Amino acid sequence: MIRLIRSEWLKLRTTSVPWLLLGLSILFTGLGILLSFLSGSSPGGRRAHGGAAWFTPHTVDQLRNLAGSGLGFGDLFIMLLGVLCITTEFRHKTVTSTFLVTPRRGRMVASKLITAAILGVVLAVILLIVTVAAGSIVLSARHGSPSALIHQLPAVAPGMIGVFVLYAILGVGVGSWLTNQVAALIATLGWFLIGETLIGALLNAIHDGLSRWLPGASASALANHTGRNLGSVLLPWWGGGLMMLTYGLVFAAIGSFVMTRRDIT
Amino acid sequence: MPSAIEVTGLTKRFKDVVAVDDLSFEVAAGRVTGFLGPNGAGKTTTLRMLLGLVSATQGTATFKGQAYRDLENPVHHVGSVLEATSFHPARRARSHLKVVAMATGLPYARVDETLALVGLTEVATKRVGGFSMGMRQRLELATALLGDPEVLILDEPSNGLDPQGIQWLRTFIRHQASTGRAVLVSSHLLSEMEETVDDVVIVSHGKLVLQTTLADLRNRAGTGGGMRVQTPEAQRLVDVLTAQQVAARWPEPDVVMIDGASPEWLGPVLAQNQIIVYDLRREGGGLEEVFLSLTSGFEAVPQGVPS
Repeated sequence: MIRLIRSEWLKLRTTSVPWLLLGLSILFTGLGILLSFLSGSSPGGRRAHGGAAWFTPHTVDQLRNLAGSGLGFGDLFIMLLGVLCITTEFRHKTVTSTFLVTPRRGRMVASKLITAAILGVVLAVILLIVTVAAGSIVLSARHGSPSALIHQLPAVAPGMIGVFVLYAILGVGVGSWLTNQVAALIATLGWFLIGETLIGALLNAIHDGLSRWLPGASASALANHTGRNLGSVLLPWWGGGLMMLTYGLVFAAIGSFVMTRRDIT
Repeated sequence: MPSAIEVTGLTKRFKDVVAVDDLSFEVAAGRVTGFLGPNGAGKTTTLRMLLGLVSATQGTATFKGQAYRDLENPVHHVGSVLEATSFHPARRARSHLKVVAMATGLPYARVDETLALVGLTEVATKRVGGFSMGMRQRLELATALLGDPEVLILDEPSNGLDPQGIQWLRTFIRHQASTGRAVLVSSHLLSEMEETVDDVVIVSHGKLVLQTTLADLRNRAGTGGGMRVQTPEAQRLVDVLTAQQVAARWPEPDVVMIDGASPEWLGPVLAQNQIIVYDLRREGGGLEEVFLSLTSGFEAVPQGVPS
């Protein structure tokens, strides 16, 4: 399995997509922080369930708010990477070669899940470093204390890393099921940009609070695990994590099942 | 000892279409077996079933008794070049091979070795997107050879190659068999394979028509199995044959060739239709004619006619 994971990583790093996504993640994180500096407030709360408060440099939630403005796109990008690492194989028909090497197809999905999860950790850590570095500069310029930011790291990092890992897994899950690259990308972007908000509103109309079970809301619950009081809007952090994991693995299980029965012609 | 490849009762049904119908054949080590048939005969589907890419509706396909999916590290046993396999255009040739080498636990030194073997060393660090058909085909062959497998499966490998490329491929295939590998190579042209293969497996409409040696096939071509008719009524004869769904060729204005026909069958047909004949003789077509009559004529020739 280790060989397969290293092979998957080799596949990824020999194409441009992961580097593009990494570059964009860093760019958006930087821009987000710059924006918060210029406007004196945070563009956090990008999504309705994001739950981020307005940013002032002296609140205790500096890091998360900074993170929310930049890392918020990172979670989309890591999910896209998960989607792409599987749909690209179908788009370029490299999947034939992959299945000749690994005829047990479930193992291929498993190796991609693990690879994407590891990259989720890596991207989260990179973006946290970028955030702390850029945030320190911003705070210093506004006479805030960078050390407060660094002190919050242990509280914020686990949630962020968890969210990234689980979004990566969800991405591979979706990709293994929706192997058509365009369809998978549209579905992922659509869900991120508008889908969850719409479906969430519908669900809440049926029964208030149902929307907290959706993937994005679950991710927010996990990211906010340090205990900001969000009332009953979100699940507890561990519940959010479990829901995310369930979504990812259920999709991957369906994907593996369908893929094993699929004729590669 | 089980055969290098053994196909038994292999069947594939796509919805209402039977692409491969109860196909059985064997491929021996150290020989090149031509897997021949017209386009749409089910060759590609058969090869993909062999390799576990397409699931069989019925039947089995094994390598020394083991199905592809059950092989431990299959790349070390079976190398394959398939149509419609592709490369990521942005990936470099060497990286493509490294991905496979890494997944199967082969050292990167083997990658360079294989690149040299197919003559791609100079373009090893070029992106595959800019490769010509011939270069892609060589890279596919390199991928197939990476694990030093004892079986090679090549699906229409000469498609898109220029004459030099085809010549190179022939030598290459012969060399692989001479080192003891079993090579199964598909083609819709026997003429292209004539100089390459030892054995032939001929399929048409998903069914096995004939498995034999090339020598035997040549024999058939030599000892008749066809009739040559010289007649001033060539048009009428062709019409009569067409009406009976018998394939015929018309090489000269007054000569009609009927592959696979015997005088016992043709004589009465000519008499019944009162066709004037100047000359009537047995004439075996060339190898390609025999192949054509075996495949395209497979269903067109009515029962009772030797084929």
